[in-house]
Amino acid sequence: MIVAKRKPFDEIASAAAPYHRIMVVGCGTCVAVCLTGGEKETGILAAQLDIAAQMAGRDQIFETACVERQCDREFLDELAERSEGCDAMLSLACGAGIQFLAERYPRMPVLAGVDTTMIGVNSAVGVWDEKCRACRSCVLTMTGGYCPLALCPKGQINGPCGGARQGKCETDPERDCVWSLIWSRLEGSGRLENLSAIQEPRDHSIANLPLRQVHPAYQRRYSAHE
Amino acid sequence: MNRFSQALKEKDFVVTVELEPPKGTDLEPLVKLASDLAKRVDAVVLADNPRAEARLDPVMAAHKLLRHAEVDVILTLTCRDRNRLALTGQMLAAAAAGVESLLLVSGDFVNLGDHPQAKPVYDLDSVQALQLAAKLSQGQDLAGGEISDPPAFLLGAAFSTQAEPRGAHLMKLKKKLRAGAGFIITLPLPEAAPYAPLRAETGEAKLIAGVTLADPAERERAAALVKELQAAKADGVHLALPAAQAELPAFLNACGL
Repeated sequence: MIVAKRKPFDEIASAAAPYHRIMVVGCGTCVAVCLTGGEKETGILAAQLDIAAQMAGRDQIFETACVERQCDREFLDELAERSEGCDAMLSLACGAGIQFLAERYPRMPVLAGVDTTMIGVNSAVGVWDEKCRACRSCVLTMTGGYCPLALCPKGQINGPCGGARQGKCETDPERDCVWSLIWSRLEGSGRLENLSAIQEPRDHSIANLPLRQVHPAYQRRYSAHE
Repeated sequence: MNRFSQALKEKDFVVTVELEPPKGTDLEPLVKLASDLAKRVDAVVLADNPRAEARLDPVMAAHKLLRHAEVDVILTLTCRDRNRLALTGQMLAAAAAGVESLLLVSGDFVNLGDHPQAKPVYDLDSVQALQLAAKLSQGQDLAGGEISDPPAFLLGAAFSTQAEPRGAHLMKLKKKLRAGAGFIITLPLPEAAPYAPLRAETGEAKLIAGVTLADPAERERAAALVKELQAAKADGVHLALPAAQAELPAFLNACGL
């Protein structure tokens, strides 16, 4: 899932300061699961902003709303009526959701309340680890289910760099060298042959430009000839 | 044939030293040091933003040394700071400057250097950089475009004997050899013992053992290591004093080279 963390409070309060009536908009999907921007966090942030505004002597009103997903247009429509009279929206969704909210309400200033951090997994209670960089060309079959593009700081695709020491990365002695993990898993399951071929330079043309993906069943509907 | 590749072919024991371009614009001290070393070494290896610290471009430094120091140059290029277009340009610039030997490495990560906020590139890895240089030598760039007056590079790669798991590192070393590496320079060896088993893996490619001094008091130990490597019929040594390269002539004296 997409993981995000709340921006520093002072940064949020400062961005919101010019506006009188602000709707804090949460998102009930990824950012709710990572305890950053769901209904509960939306309420907490609105209350904190309210207290800070009172202490600073600012005349501000903070309303709250939390939609199922800010990355789906149908859920954004439900804010139309409720946002009437608001001067700004403060979104706690990931970067995609914030943009889609701003696109749906183009006259409304939309403020970012979170920094989107990664595509990751919930490794333990309250802990998320990055796993995927959305490179659009997955190598996980070859590498035994560990991604060297996401988990190696150098994105090494042909094997470990010379900086690895005792299975740890040169960038941080606490960080596992992903090539050590890949090697162990493939060795343990008799699949080291996976790694014997030289991997040619990656084709970045598939990832250099913003992507639009259309499901095959909908291609006729969105094709240029329709 | 350049002096270094001739030495690799003809000499029992080659000697190279590591030199770092200045963090500034005055190349005279580097030229002077390289001139002092010229008759004692088979090549100097010019570092490329070593330890991820920003320095003068090594292609310009190579150009100066080849012209004014009468020493052969092995140019290091890292994949950290350039994409494939920039690496192609640097390799062709190096060839135009008279460089015939390249040492192609991934490059220390930016967070180890003096610009930790920099965006690291790594468009290619060291294996693919070797492929690029080999292809340029055959008259083509990576996209298949024709290279006029192609260079004739002798290609080098790096290897760490201390890196684990060894199998994974040897697998990558084999890829480097297949991609065209004609010589391998190891990261500094702590002792001579790892040399022979590694030499058995490099086949036709010569294996040059890295030797360094963690502190000046270790000079005797390093000199003994060099002698041990000579006795073990190693292909050569590469001496590096990262923070004290002006002391390389004295280090060579101590090692009897």
